[in-house]
Amino acid sequence: MSQRSEQMRGNAIAIVLLLAGGIIMVAPFVWMLSTSLKVPADQYSRTLIPPILTLDNYREIWSLIPLQTMLWNSLKIAAIATAGQLLTCSMAAFVFAVARFRGRDILFFLLLLTLMVPSQITTIPQFILFKWLGLYGTQVPMYLPSFLGGAFGTFLLRQYFKTIPIELAEAARIDGASLITIYWNIYLPLAKPALAAFGVFAFMFSWNDLFTALIYLPSDPETTTLPVGLALFQQQYGGKWTLMMAAVLISVAPIIVAFLIAQKQFIQGISMSGLK
Amino acid sequence: MQNWVKRAVPAAVLLGGLLLSSTALAETELKLMLFGGPVDVAIWEKLSAEFEASHPGITVTVEVNDWDSYWEKLRVLIAGGTAPDVFAMDASNYPDWQARGALLQLQPMIDAEPELLADVYPVSLEAYQTPDGYYGLPRDFQTIALFYNKDMFDAAGVAYPTDQWSWDDLRAAARQLTRDSNGDGSIDQWGLFAELIDMEAFWSSVLWSHGADIVDAANGKTLIGSPEAMTAWNFIAGMVLDDKSIPTAEQLRQFGADGFQAGVTAMGLSGHWSVPDYAPAGFRWDVAPMPKGPAGRVTSVNSAGFTIASTTKHPAEAWELLKFAIGPEAQQQLAGIGFAIPIQKSIAEGPAYLEQQSAPIDHKLFVEALDYARVKPVFRGYEEWASAVGDALQMAWSGALPIADAIQQAVDDGDAVLANAR
Amino acid sequence: MTGSLRPLRGERVGVLLLLAPTLIGLAIGVFGSVLATFVLSFFDWDLLSPISFAGVSNYANLPQDRMFSSALVNTTLFSLLYVPLTLGIGFAVACLMNRHIRGISLLRALFFLPVVSSPAAVGLLWSWIFAQDQGLLNSAITALGGDPVSWLGPKVILYSVVSVNVWGAIGEAMIVFLAGLQAIPRELYEAAKVDGAKPWQRLVHVTLPSMVPSLFFQGVLSTIHAFQAFDYIYMLTRLSNGNSTFPTLVFSLYRTGFRFFRMGDAAAQAVVLTGIIAVFTLVYFRIQKKLGAEA
Repeated sequence: MSQRSEQMRGNAIAIVLLLAGGIIMVAPFVWMLSTSLKVPADQYSRTLIPPILTLDNYREIWSLIPLQTMLWNSLKIAAIATAGQLLTCSMAAFVFAVARFRGRDILFFLLLLTLMVPSQITTIPQFILFKWLGLYGTQVPMYLPSFLGGAFGTFLLRQYFKTIPIELAEAARIDGASLITIYWNIYLPLAKPALAAFGVFAFMFSWNDLFTALIYLPSDPETTTLPVGLALFQQQYGGKWTLMMAAVLISVAPIIVAFLIAQKQFIQGISMSGLK
Repeated sequence: MQNWVKRAVPAAVLLGGLLLSSTALAETELKLMLFGGPVDVAIWEKLSAEFEASHPGITVTVEVNDWDSYWEKLRVLIAGGTAPDVFAMDASNYPDWQARGALLQLQPMIDAEPELLADVYPVSLEAYQTPDGYYGLPRDFQTIALFYNKDMFDAAGVAYPTDQWSWDDLRAAARQLTRDSNGDGSIDQWGLFAELIDMEAFWSSVLWSHGADIVDAANGKTLIGSPEAMTAWNFIAGMVLDDKSIPTAEQLRQFGADGFQAGVTAMGLSGHWSVPDYAPAGFRWDVAPMPKGPAGRVTSVNSAGFTIASTTKHPAEAWELLKFAIGPEAQQQLAGIGFAIPIQKSIAEGPAYLEQQSAPIDHKLFVEALDYARVKPVFRGYEEWASAVGDALQMAWSGALPIADAIQQAVDDGDAVLANAR
Repeated sequence: MTGSLRPLRGERVGVLLLLAPTLIGLAIGVFGSVLATFVLSFFDWDLLSPISFAGVSNYANLPQDRMFSSALVNTTLFSLLYVPLTLGIGFAVACLMNRHIRGISLLRALFFLPVVSSPAAVGLLWSWIFAQDQGLLNSAITALGGDPVSWLGPKVILYSVVSVNVWGAIGEAMIVFLAGLQAIPRELYEAAKVDGAKPWQRLVHVTLPSMVPSLFFQGVLSTIHAFQAFDYIYMLTRLSNGNSTFPTLVFSLYRTGFRFFRMGDAAAQAVVLTGIIAVFTLVYFRIQKKLGAEA
C-alpha cells in the first residue's frame, strides 16, 4: 500500500470521526435555535424544523424581562473590563518583555503563580473591601479588578512582545524616546493582532461571568448582567421553553459572532498561552 | 460633597423633628421596599401618592421586587448600610433580621397609640412579639386551602372535595387523578401540586393534623421525627414515592414552578396569594378547606408585615408610613386585589375582601380557616434551619434516602442550626 | 534572553508607572486577599454583627457541615471523571485534527463553540435537553421505545453534569494539544517511520513523550476548573430553597458566604479548596519531573 493512499484513508477516518464529534458539539445550539422559532404549543414537538415558524418569542421576551437593560449592562461592563485588561496587562507585559531590572524574573514568576490561585480564595476579602468602599450592589466591582492587570493577559502579551525585534526599541532610544513612548508608539501598534486576540478573551470572560455577578448584582434587573438575568428568568418563567431558548440565543449570539469573526486570532491566542 | 450631606441631614431632621409637630415635617424622602409583582407596583404607587397628599413634606419612593430577588436585595442594602426606611417582612424571617439588629424597635410608638392594634387579628400579631416588644407589625395573613381543577375532576368522574374530606380521601382522589393520558409511559397529569420543601403549604399542616409538632426553638429541638410525625411523613412519602400522585420539583421544572397553575395537577395546596394567578387560568376551579387528619383539621397561618430599618434617618416619618400601610385605607385597597387577607377584622369580614373581584370563590373560607389554624413557626435561625431540613427532605423526594433516614438527618441538622442560633 | 533594555535613571519612574496596576493587583488583589481569607477563617462574622474570634472552630465544624461534606465528595468524584475525560477526548480530537485537510478550521471552530458560549445560557439549554418527561433526550428515548431516564435525578446527575462540563471544555483542551502537536518536529516522525514504527508505536514513542508539557499544563488547568466548577451546576441543579441537588465546593462556599453571610466558615472552605488544588498541582509537578527525567 502506498504511503499516499494510507494517508488518504487516515484523513477519511479522521473526517468522519470529527464530523460526528462536531455534530455533538453543535446539536444543542441547533435545537436551541429551532425551539426558539416554535410557537409555545409546539415546544414539546420533536421535529427540528418548527411546524409553525414564528419570531414571536423574540418579540415577547423583550416585554417580559428588561433584556435590553441587561444586554446594555453586560456590554458596558465587558467593554470597560476589556479596556482595563488591555491597557494594564500590556503595560506590564511591555516591562517584562523589554526592560531589565533587578527582581524582574521573581516578580514575573510571582505573577504566573497567581494562575494557580483559585479565584474563590480572593472573593471574600474583595467582597468585604468593596462593601467597605460602599460599592456593594453597584457595577464597579465587576470591572474595577480588570484595571489591576492579570497573569493570563500579561503572559500572553509578553510572549508576543518578545517577538518584536529589540533593535526597534534601541533605535528609538537613541532618538531620545522614553520607555513609555516606546511602549505607546511602537509596541502597542505592532501588537494589534495579539491585543485583538486577548481582547476577545477578556470580553468573553467578563460577558460570561456568572459567579461575580451573582455576588455583587444578585437581583436588580436594572443593574445586573445577562447571566444573572437568565438565572432569574429560569426561576420565573420555568416551563416556557420557547421563550427561554430565545433569551439564551440572544445572550450567546454576540460572543459567537465575535468568535467567528476573530476565530483565527482567538485560537492562536490560546495556543500562545499553552506552551513555551 | 456627599459626606457633609450625610452628616448634615440627620442633624437637620433632628432639628426639624424638635421644631415641628406630626404632619408639618421637614422635606423628607422615604424609601419603601416590598416583594410582589406588577399589581403591587400599581397599588403601592397609588397608596404612596395618597400618603404624600395627607403628609405634606414627605415623598415616598416605592420599589417592588419579586420574592426571591427581594430577600437578596434586602441583604445587599442592609449589609451595605443603605437600607430602605420601611420594608416588607415575612414572619418566618423576622427573628433573624431582628437579631441582627436591622430593625427599629416600635414598642414606644405603639405604646403611644393604644388603639392602633385593637381591630387586628391577634394570631397575626403573635409572630411579631418579642420579649422586648414589637420590631415589626403584620400587614396581611395567609391561610392554606385546597384548590381543585373542576375540569379534571369531571373528566375523571371523581367527586369534588368537600369539607368532610380526610387526608386519606385526598390521597385516594389524587391516585385516581394521576394518569398518563397520551400513553407514552410517563405521567402527564398528577393528582396534587404541593410544595414539598418549604413547610407552609403542605407538610406543616399534615404533621399538625397527625398530632405532631414541628420545632421547640426555645429548647433547640426539632420535633419532626416523633412517632406521630413519622406517620405523617409516611403518608406524604406514600403519595410522592408510591402513588407518584405529587410531582417532584424536578418533574415540575419543565412546566414552571406551580403545577396547578400550569394545568398539570388536579389539585393544589396554596394560600390566597395564588388566587389572582389562578384567576385567568384556562380551566374551571374552586377551593375547599384543608382536609382533616387523625388529630383534626389544621391549616397554617403566616403573615407578612412591615418593619423599619434601625438605621433610618427618619424614624418618625417612617412610623407614619408604616401606620398608613397597615391602616384601614391601605388595607381596603389591598383586599381588593386579592393577594392576601387583611389583618384588620372589620375589613377581612367586610365587603372589600369578601366581595373582591379577583375570582368567584368563597373568600370567607380563608378567614374561617383561622379557627383551626396554627401559626407557622417563627424563631431565630429559621432560614438556615429551613434550608437544612429542606435539604434533607429533598434527599427523600429524589429517592436518594429512605424517608426515615432523611427525617433523622433533618432532625440532626436542624438541631445543629438551632444550637448555633441560640 | 538577550536584548532587553536597562531603564535609564530617569525612567525608573516610568517602569514603576507601567507596572503599578499589576503590583497593586498582586499586593491587594491576590496575596493580600489570600492572607485576609486565611485570617478571616479564624473569625466569625455575618457582616452585620461585630466580628468575633473563633479559633479553629470554623475548620473543626467543616466535617459536620453536611453540605460541605457532600460537596467535597461530589467535587472529588466530578474531578476524577472530568479531568481524564477532558484530557483524553481533547487529546484524541487534537490528534485527528492535526492534519492538512481543507475545511478543517471550520471543524475546529465547531469544537470551540461551547468554550466561548456563556455557561449560564448554555446551562439553561441543557436543562431543557435533560428535562424529565418532555426533554429532548427523554423524548428521543421514549420514541425509540425506551424508558425515560431521570437525567438530573440522584443516580445519574454526576454523569450528566460531567458530560455537560466536558462538552464545554473539549475545545480548549483540543487547542492546547493541537499547539503542542504542531510543535513536534516532523523529523522525529520521519525517523520513526524509517525504523518501521507502526502508527500506534509512533503515538506512544514519539507523540506522547513530546506532549508531556502540554498534558501537564492542561492537567493542571482542568483540575483547577474541576474544583471550581460552578456555572453549569448552578443552572442545572439549583433547588427552590437555594440548595443544589449536586452541591460542589464552590457552590457550598457561595451559599455559605453570600447567602447565609457566614464569612468565617466560607473563608475556611476557601482555604481548604485552595489546599486541595495546591496538593494536586504539586503531584502533577512531581509526575512531570519524573516523566521528564525518563524521556
